[in-house]
Amino acid sequence: MKAVSERVDVVIVGSGAAGSAMASRLAAGGKQVLILEAGPDRKPGSLISSGIWSRRLHWGGDPVIERGDDPISHVFNAGYGTGGSAQHHFAVWPRLHPEDFEIRSQFDRALDWPIGYAQLRSYYDQVQAASGVSGDAELEVWRPPGDPYPMPAVPRFRQSELIARGFTERGLKVAPLPIAVTSQAYRGRAACIWDGWCDSGCPIGALANPLTIDLPIAFEHGARLVTGATVNRILTDPGGNYATGVAYRTAAGETVEVMASLVILAAFAVQNPRLLLASANDRHPQGLANSSGLVGKYLMCHPGATVYGLFDEPTQCHMGATGGQLLSQEGYAKTTHADSGAFGSYQWIIAPAVKPTDLLGFATTRPDLFGPSLHDFMKNAAHHFANMVAVIEDMPVLENTVTLSDRRDASGTPLAVVSHTTHADSKKLWQTVVNEGKDIMQAAGAREAWSGPQTAMHIMGGTIMGQDPGSSVCNDFGQTHDIQNLVIAGPGLFPTSGGVNPTFTVHALVARSSEHLLQNWNTISRSA
Amino acid sequence: MTERQSRRTFLRDTGSGVLGFYLAGQILYLTPAEAREQNIPLRVLNAHQARSLDALGEVLLPGAAAAGVVHFVDHQLAAPAADQLLMIRYLGVEPPFTPFYLGGLAALDQQAQARFQKPFADLDPSQQTTLVGQIAQANPEGWDGPPAPLFYFVLRSDALDVVYGTQSGVESLDVPYMAHIVPPSRWGE
Repeated sequence: MKAVSERVDVVIVGSGAAGSAMASRLAAGGKQVLILEAGPDRKPGSLISSGIWSRRLHWGGDPVIERGDDPISHVFNAGYGTGGSAQHHFAVWPRLHPEDFEIRSQFDRALDWPIGYAQLRSYYDQVQAASGVSGDAELEVWRPPGDPYPMPAVPRFRQSELIARGFTERGLKVAPLPIAVTSQAYRGRAACIWDGWCDSGCPIGALANPLTIDLPIAFEHGARLVTGATVNRILTDPGGNYATGVAYRTAAGETVEVMASLVILAAFAVQNPRLLLASANDRHPQGLANSSGLVGKYLMCHPGATVYGLFDEPTQCHMGATGGQLLSQEGYAKTTHADSGAFGSYQWIIAPAVKPTDLLGFATTRPDLFGPSLHDFMKNAAHHFANMVAVIEDMPVLENTVTLSDRRDASGTPLAVVSHTTHADSKKLWQTVVNEGKDIMQAAGAREAWSGPQTAMHIMGGTIMGQDPGSSVCNDFGQTHDIQNLVIAGPGLFPTSGGVNPTFTVHALVARSSEHLLQNWNTISRSA
Repeated sequence: MTERQSRRTFLRDTGSGVLGFYLAGQILYLTPAEAREQNIPLRVLNAHQARSLDALGEVLLPGAAAAGVVHFVDHQLAAPAADQLLMIRYLGVEPPFTPFYLGGLAALDQQAQARFQKPFADLDPSQQTTLVGQIAQANPEGWDGPPAPLFYFVLRSDALDVVYGTQSGVESLDVPYMAHIVPPSRWGE
């Protein structure tokens, strides 16, 4: 083992949506940026259009031990390699609603965010212009105030037309799905050809992932990326007052230290708290930034509800974006289903493009079938299958945690243990939504309608932000309350999950935070 | 490549993602089906385990055996965990995955022996179907392996991968594949 030190302005742990966006903005602001990524290097040319090959994009690092009644499917939801989980994300980019930021104030439940929608709105607008979002703001009647989408809505194929009949039949509105995919050529990027390979990484640049949007900007401004670099410790000064850098393990087993004036953790909602806890020292015996005792607490994961149908008509279910074609947020109000004891927001994502196999393929929707009947189903479903998925709010629970295991990785760092059980009210909402979905699918004319088990979508929380250092880990810019030049970026900051996909909000928070960090660089950053 | 390695036939992925079989100092680019036809030696599974997996794959999805499910699974199990492309990596099972597969195949054979006094591969088709239908639902009495329904789901996914997860498999359903970057050309041919 040998240590090789270098000094940079900013070291960023993780190259996913948050890390890459931070890198592009801080590098463009004149900072010397180094990104450390645990997984391998990826280039657009390596993104093979295949459900089998794209499994490489999902987590392949140190094992995460999952416990609880409702595991978070860490391997599937996390990413590995350049671009992190954003490299296989579906780019469904709705905004959080104003009430998502103030559940405590409005409903005396859960937590408030330290900021409101009004403070984030301009950053949503800024990000959607830079990354390109397709949609129709007028038809999206539930949408909070914001600029119109910079590109027209995605095209509709037969699958969405058929399912939309069911929503109409039940008096529910639908709108084009807001999605960060090019419905037309946009700022030098090609228009999407709607082939349903989004989750394999989109090598043509139609989908706004880090390889397409932020990393090229970061590199243009001098940022560097080191892959195969697993960070295992955050370094501090002897007094524990500020972060001085990180130590990482190379693929060859060498330990390298990087010194930095600002340390940003963007390694997603499980590895960030793991790193903070594993970096405990004399000054921070509970782990870094953990004076509140809340590092690793309030971990959330949207319970997904999936509903399927077989139609007599052809559905063209292989066409479109993996994210889907239509959106319905008719049930977004927190108390829509209060009569059943449920609480929280949800949205329907209608008509995701679907392939025959893989975890989200139509073959998986009927796990009971095997033998000749499975062949029959495959031939039928290939042309008549339809599906929709609900993103359901996961109310934060203190006992849903990331903690450290007694087991350790190759460098001696304890592995992460994740325990997650969905809040009882969220489970009630899930069941209500599943029933609603099957009813809609039947109303649409499906000759068969069925549902899948609760799925785990998106990982959030674990390093929540708030105004009070005693009840949160970070402030509203992601700076940890205890160590101001140690910053968290990503969905781990969310105090509540809302009922929408998180990546757009991650970008908006990064835009706001990076602006603050640059404007206040001299007071926030610390030279080691 | 050392002489010893050249005799130990092994499989690996090249950087370009093409499935390469090293055999006696030569690289052979084969599909799993071709590897099966040419009887390329296995790295992880022994002959009995391979025969059981071949039979199970065929019950789960007729055609999976000929499509090379045994060589596909064996190839993936021999790769480093982060590079393995089996569906099991999504399903909450911690790598290495080999004990899961070997434990499941052994438990399946144990069940076949206990009920029919034959290994699974030697059962008649109706006996095989009955047993597979049972493990799909719950652990049969005396099952001594990974959770039976999960084992069923994982192996079913592998069978689906080799039959319908390839470009030709998708196109066999009269669905255009429409790749941006085509998967390795020898897969699934």
